[in-house]
Amino acid sequence: MISAKPLESPRSSFTLQQEGVIAVAIVALSAIVSLINPDFLSANNLLDIAVNTAYIAVAAAGMTMVIVSGNIDISVGSMLGVCATIAGELARNGVPVPIAFAAAVLAGGALGAVNGLLVAYARIPAIVVTLGMLSILRGGLILVTQGRWIESLPEAFFFSQRSTLGIPNPIWVMVLVSVLTWLFMKYHRLGRAIYAVGGNAEAARLAGINPKRIYLFVFIMNGLLVGLAAVLYASRFTAIQSNAGQGFELAVISGTVVGGVSILGGVGSVMGALLGSLLISQIGTAAIFLKVSPFWLQAVQGGLILLTVLVDVLRRRRMT
Amino acid sequence: MKPTALNRTLALLAFASIVVAACAAPPPAAPQQPQQPAQPQEAAQQPAEQLPPGWKAGIPKNPPDRKGKKLVIRDVPKLIGIGYFAATTRGMEEAAAELGNIDFKTDAPTEAKIEKQIEFIDNFITQGVDVILFAANDPVAIAPVLKKALDQGIIVVGYDADAQEDARQFFVNQATFEAIGQALIEDMVSQVGPDAEVAIVTSSLTAPNQNRWIEEMKKYAAAKYPNLKFVVTLPSEEDQQLAFKATQDIMKTYPNVKGVFGLSSVAFPGAADAVKQAGKCGQIAVVGLSTPNQMRPFVKEGCVKSVILWNPIDLGYAAVYAARAIADGELKPGATSLKAGRLGELKVNGSEILLGPPFIFNKDNIDNFDF
Repeated sequence: MISAKPLESPRSSFTLQQEGVIAVAIVALSAIVSLINPDFLSANNLLDIAVNTAYIAVAAAGMTMVIVSGNIDISVGSMLGVCATIAGELARNGVPVPIAFAAAVLAGGALGAVNGLLVAYARIPAIVVTLGMLSILRGGLILVTQGRWIESLPEAFFFSQRSTLGIPNPIWVMVLVSVLTWLFMKYHRLGRAIYAVGGNAEAARLAGINPKRIYLFVFIMNGLLVGLAAVLYASRFTAIQSNAGQGFELAVISGTVVGGVSILGGVGSVMGALLGSLLISQIGTAAIFLKVSPFWLQAVQGGLILLTVLVDVLRRRRMT
Repeated sequence: MKPTALNRTLALLAFASIVVAACAAPPPAAPQQPQQPAQPQEAAQQPAEQLPPGWKAGIPKNPPDRKGKKLVIRDVPKLIGIGYFAATTRGMEEAAAELGNIDFKTDAPTEAKIEKQIEFIDNFITQGVDVILFAANDPVAIAPVLKKALDQGIIVVGYDADAQEDARQFFVNQATFEAIGQALIEDMVSQVGPDAEVAIVTSSLTAPNQNRWIEEMKKYAAAKYPNLKFVVTLPSEEDQQLAFKATQDIMKTYPNVKGVFGLSSVAFPGAADAVKQAGKCGQIAVVGLSTPNQMRPFVKEGCVKSVILWNPIDLGYAAVYAARAIADGELKPGATSLKAGRLGELKVNGSEILLGPPFIFNKDNIDNFDF
């Protein structure tokens, strides 16, 4: 086997720069909004923004791995719905809550494995595989739930409504997941191999990395993290929506890409994805605090995303 | 998976389409969100044997004289096995028992599929029933089979979800936009008073039903409660999480807001959850449209006092009374009212029978409903 060092470098200098840009944007936006409406910087509001972002950021960590490897997964919204429903149904039927949560995470991993096998070994492009998965899971979900929300959940289920040491649980999970996956991708041999494969699969293969295994690995990891995100989502509300997670893939992919993860593969970091997700959530809340017409909200978010992708593409062109 | 130029282009295209979809995708309707039929036609009303001018609804061809005779009524809702249509059936059975001399049965597919619904209706036509009641899965696709029924002299009455107007005789309209708008405002004012700031969490900013309701709410409030101030309307895109977040942001941005309207079966529970988790039950009223099942936990806890919708039992009840009245020659084109048992006299507007003011579910009656 090889050490990843001499291979495609994760270009840490740039991604750091990109993360820095997003971090500055978050601080600047906070400062501007708080000048007009000081309540924006209240601890209460900042915690709300973080909690609302947590389940997106956890899935964005998995999405970072997938996109860095040169793939994409647009089935995460349907997967979130399926995993949330599994957790809720099990808990409602008397299964102990920790087991229900674990089942949701494992179900996510299993679905991710199906995506990964089809991409890696059947050689179907990821966008096609996950587009199919998106429809199959969404359809199956409607069939199973018949549109009924899951209610009467046991009190222990509401993990995301509780706090530990004064900080809401979803924030702990978000920080923990982001730091661990970030360290993993930066320092672990397997993590660095994801960059190698995403940067140039052929070169990685010649250097002794099996790209197929990497593809399978990233999809499984992504599935597990979506399962975890589903637990955060499901335990947040009094009842679980039957069609949960509709459009979730957009939030996750937007956050990831805005955070500097290149849609072309090989570049980006989990910290960037975390910051990108936070920035997008923050823009949404800021617009309401500034009393911007809600008709403009989507346009502003969409514009920001296109701008980031454009910057990314231009930068890649300059580098090659 | 070598990243060739083509692959990159594909990836970019795919992403661009996602972004476009993000900005443009209309939210799908929430399940069981009952359909709002089109506004009643302004048909001129003329009490004559001739059809009133502008009459567009269907008429059975050469129907036998059914006055006072036994009626075979078959009800074909969108699907069976869900609480909502179990409730309409309950109302129909009640009316059939009250009227007597009626052979009534509900039979329909177990999934809301139009092609299966058409099969059921076709079978009933072959059996030669007197009346077909329906709630259409698709207003256009169901029309030919309903017209076939009319051609065979069968009485055809819709409820809940209408078909094309010329494919049925009458339609029982569960709630007009106007009546819903008024009920929402009255309920809010009864909780927060006429001088308060209120906000709206809607489904999407382009949703036609919601926009009509908002229009009617504001119109009614402007006339009757001019000091009721609408501070903002935020979208929730049929996403519980977004409705939750929108309500959180409303409470922080507009600290004087005393009430929040949740205008869909997703927006309402999302808004109620946000108020509940902020510990503001009782301080901020949440009023809206949804189904009893969706809102039951909040109504039970007292965080939501009332849920506005219509009563599907009454809806089914009225449909059977309408069928009987048509058979007896009492309800015919040009009629302006329908006597419907315990519901009293219902207004008829053109070919639509209006069920009347919306129904309010509260903690005393909500357990009678399962939909």
